[in-house]
Amino acid sequence: MKAYLAKKLIAFPVILIGVSMLIFGSIRALPGDPARLMAGPEATQEAVDNMRVRLGLDQPIVTQYVHFATDVLHGNLGLSLQSQQPVTQEIGERLPYTLALAVLAYFLAVVIGVPAGMIGAVYRNRWPDYGVMLLAIAGASIANFWLGLMAMNYFSVSLGWLPLLGATSWKSYILPSITLAVLPMAVMARMTRSSMLDVLSEDYIRTARAKGLSAVTIYCSHAFRNALIPIVTIVALNFGSLIGGAVVTESVFNWPGIGRLLVDSVRYRDYPVIQGVALVAVCGVVVMNLLGELLIAFLNPKIRFD
Amino acid sequence: MSAIITQLPRRKPRMLRFFRWLWRHPAVTLGGVIVSAIVLMGIFAPLLTRHDPYAQDLIDTLLAPSADHLFGTDDYGRDIFARVIYGARISIVEVVLSVGLAMIVGIPLGVIAGMAGRYVDMIIMWLMDMLFAFPGIVLAILVVSILGGGLINLLIAISLFAIPVYARLSRNLTLGLKQMEYVEAAQALGLSHYRIIVHYILRNAVGPIIVQSTLTAGTVILAAASLSFLGLGVQPPMPEWGTMMSDGRNFLGINIYLSLFPGLAIMLTVLGFNVLGDGLRDLLDTRS
Amino acid sequence: MNSKMRLTLLSTALLAALSSPLYAATLTIMQNEAPRSMDPGNQTATFTGTVLDPMYEGLLRMSPELKPEAALATSWSSDETGLKWTFKLRSGVTFHDGTPFNADAVVANFARHLDAKRGLAASGRLRTFLDSVTKVDDSTVLFTLKKPYPAFLNLLTTGASLMVSPTADKAGTLDSKAVGTGPYKMVQYKTGEFVLEEKYPGYWGNKTSGPDDLKWTWSAEPSVMNMALQAGEADVINPVPPQFATVLKNNPKFELHESPGSAVFWVALNTDLKPLDDVRVRQALNFATDRAGLVRAIMSGFAIPANSPLAPVTAGYDKTLDPYPLNIEKAKALLKEAGVPNGFTMTIAVQGQDARIGQVLQSMWAKIGVKLDVRQMESGVWAKAAFADQAGKKADNTGSVLASWSSGVNGADLQLRPLYYSKSFAPGGANLGFFNDPKLDEMLDKAASTQDENARNAIYVDAQKEINQQAPQVVLYYQNDLYATGKDVSGVTMIPGGQIVVKDAHKG
Repeated sequence: MKAYLAKKLIAFPVILIGVSMLIFGSIRALPGDPARLMAGPEATQEAVDNMRVRLGLDQPIVTQYVHFATDVLHGNLGLSLQSQQPVTQEIGERLPYTLALAVLAYFLAVVIGVPAGMIGAVYRNRWPDYGVMLLAIAGASIANFWLGLMAMNYFSVSLGWLPLLGATSWKSYILPSITLAVLPMAVMARMTRSSMLDVLSEDYIRTARAKGLSAVTIYCSHAFRNALIPIVTIVALNFGSLIGGAVVTESVFNWPGIGRLLVDSVRYRDYPVIQGVALVAVCGVVVMNLLGELLIAFLNPKIRFD
Repeated sequence: MSAIITQLPRRKPRMLRFFRWLWRHPAVTLGGVIVSAIVLMGIFAPLLTRHDPYAQDLIDTLLAPSADHLFGTDDYGRDIFARVIYGARISIVEVVLSVGLAMIVGIPLGVIAGMAGRYVDMIIMWLMDMLFAFPGIVLAILVVSILGGGLINLLIAISLFAIPVYARLSRNLTLGLKQMEYVEAAQALGLSHYRIIVHYILRNAVGPIIVQSTLTAGTVILAAASLSFLGLGVQPPMPEWGTMMSDGRNFLGINIYLSLFPGLAIMLTVLGFNVLGDGLRDLLDTRS
Repeated sequence: MNSKMRLTLLSTALLAALSSPLYAATLTIMQNEAPRSMDPGNQTATFTGTVLDPMYEGLLRMSPELKPEAALATSWSSDETGLKWTFKLRSGVTFHDGTPFNADAVVANFARHLDAKRGLAASGRLRTFLDSVTKVDDSTVLFTLKKPYPAFLNLLTTGASLMVSPTADKAGTLDSKAVGTGPYKMVQYKTGEFVLEEKYPGYWGNKTSGPDDLKWTWSAEPSVMNMALQAGEADVINPVPPQFATVLKNNPKFELHESPGSAVFWVALNTDLKPLDDVRVRQALNFATDRAGLVRAIMSGFAIPANSPLAPVTAGYDKTLDPYPLNIEKAKALLKEAGVPNGFTMTIAVQGQDARIGQVLQSMWAKIGVKLDVRQMESGVWAKAAFADQAGKKADNTGSVLASWSSGVNGADLQLRPLYYSKSFAPGGANLGFFNDPKLDEMLDKAASTQDENARNAIYVDAQKEINQQAPQVVLYYQNDLYATGKDVSGVTMIPGGQIVVKDAHKG
């Protein structure tokens, strides 16, 4: 256990550095003059020259990376070419919206997915199970932006119930969060089901049944605790997939989050923002992954000795 | 004479046995049928529709489904059914090329990591973890912003985030198999590493890799469609399913067919791959 | 008066005072592109001009009958030559930042445009005919023209002639913060989101008309614009995406306003690039374009197929011209003559939603063997590509650019000169294809200095024929001005070309 933890903790900064190197390298790999690209096509020659010095383009690439990393650690991600505002500000203004969607989506995924998975496990190979499994597979197969479009078409336009634009009222959170929740919900249902199936066949459940504990007690107390593992797994370890889903969902719903910021900045070729959002997104994923792995290691032995 | 003539049970005919097997394995059957249908649809597209997916008809735009236009027409008057069917071709190409590229790069990496062990393993796996840390779409967006749009660049971007999956898989398989007795025996006998890899490891890895490929296929299609929808992938007028849906956005409330049918196509195809993959995985699990 | 009356009076007054905030409405206008700059002298986009209109004024302004009338100038006169114009300035006017408006301010404003080194985007028009602007005394200025210019007074109402605060100009902040003399001042410009304007208490003119606040938003997506209006999140949308126009027209809760527009949509062909340097190739492209089909498909019928570089609302437009009826065979024959019988490949740079036009052209021109590569870009990126100079376009291999241009009601010279005059090459002007025709230059110059309207229009007819013949472009259509409002909105007007005027609007 200790070796496992240690390995994970060492890997964490290594991966962060590696990821930042990848992002740093990808922006430098762009065709064209990096100084001109980062200063923007509108910039004067003077501004471009200043940018060249700031980026340290005449220096060896390692030094450049060190400067870049120092800047990032100090929270300086540069200026957006479009708005001339600091990238950190652009991200900071939008991150809460993305996080709000993420939290809502996970909430829905747990609240609907976990019970569904449990039903599937309990009624294994009977109709409810098939129903749950079918829905789960379907949910994992849908393009979430298609779902969003269809929902918009019906609920926003035809029925006029829900707003279309951005984040204007509490009503506007409904469709985007449901759209984002579909995939984690499906995965959650499947994982809960298989995890429950595993656990239900374990010895101590048979012992509990033999002892005559009521079904409800067994399922709720023992088995449910084991559902925590898939939940943590999906929330923490599949965070990357959620971010990916958020990027597309935000574009469909014009949601003012960092996902739409990323897409917009690619269209406008706003490289400082692309770099910044990629860094923030990936670091978020790495942190969540680490937390998830640690949490699972923590949960697992405890349950085993219970 | 008692008529206790015991007739040897005749072996059931091959066909019947085959269908019995299919019946007993619904997932593989259903998935297989769907995937084959899509593939055949793409291959035989010209036979299934007389319309040219690129032919514009500026008079008959935005028509609802009818006998002549099974799925209606889009805002340029192009037949949507034809575009969906020809779009299957693009999806097939996407799957084959992306998964193929990911396998070509990922599997050797994983096998090397597994065979070489210790530091090489650690370094390769750390590299893979770094790639893995990227949400697929973000990585693809980064790559597309460097290389530019278009189908080929899109496939390169997607295969990049599929590579770690194959690397990890083949590494784990290699590690597992390395400990198997017959590999140890082979090593003791002095067979070269190369032969060991090819004979035992790859042969035993084929199963899990195929399963993984069917699951990755679904991911590839969804990722490609998402990026094309965002305008960062396939460029119009190619009838890719994701691109078709982005057109539909401009007509929300006026015409649902533009987005409905390509979306259904995507769902069906990915569903087919997922079901097939699940079925194959169960099959493999019960066998081993 | 007794206490009862006092109470009644007081409560009435209180009620009145309390009820007026009920009418303190914000009028929200949604357009389809973001504003390019808050400095009217540094941009030429119509849909930015609309945002700036409530905040800036010129010496003159357009009356509802579309004739120039007094604004910041109270009277004016010219000498017999028509080259020297004297303007008497209004007193008691201040800019939003407190800088007083006087002759010095006027001189500073025009000086920054006449200064060739400044490179402001809208200066081009002024520099062609304006020689100098000098102060006579604190409230009088003298304009000296290089040659008589019939559209001079019209030009003083808009664009580069709008007065900006010299203080702000010196500080270099005008691009992001507007400072003018208009009835509204800028409260906030949130990049990518909105521009908020509110009534300027120090305005010299009529303060009662118009809503208290103006909020300008934008979305490049037609569906969003439609939904915004339907959901009440926008009170006015301009321009209405054509596919939704009929739906809105039939909806009793909204009003669709349609009027002949002056915006000409056209494809500028890069005459520098082979084989577009051959006039026959350019004519072939014209013969292969089904303009009526384009109007049907892209504009849902809310446009007029084009037959001339001038729009029908412009004086001098000749509606009898029909240079390029659809004729695929003729197009192919011309290509064969020019030595490219099997067609060729070319690119077109389009912005945002215009990509749909590009796709239609792609399919049309494929019929004569021309492979059109549609390059769709965001408007900022597109502007760079479209206005690149000859070397830049060659490096990018930009064969053509899809654009629109509207000279509003300011005359044919302002439609033709920036686009076709040899001295208007991009990036200084809008001659995106580097068209160089001395005969046309001569015609434009002659027309610009002809005072007699009929004679002038006759020359413009010849000019249209010449441009059509030389085909430096493929003119596509004239877009009707379409805007839609909620039923409760009134007082919105439109200057041809998409220039919506909301400062006298009323909601509720």
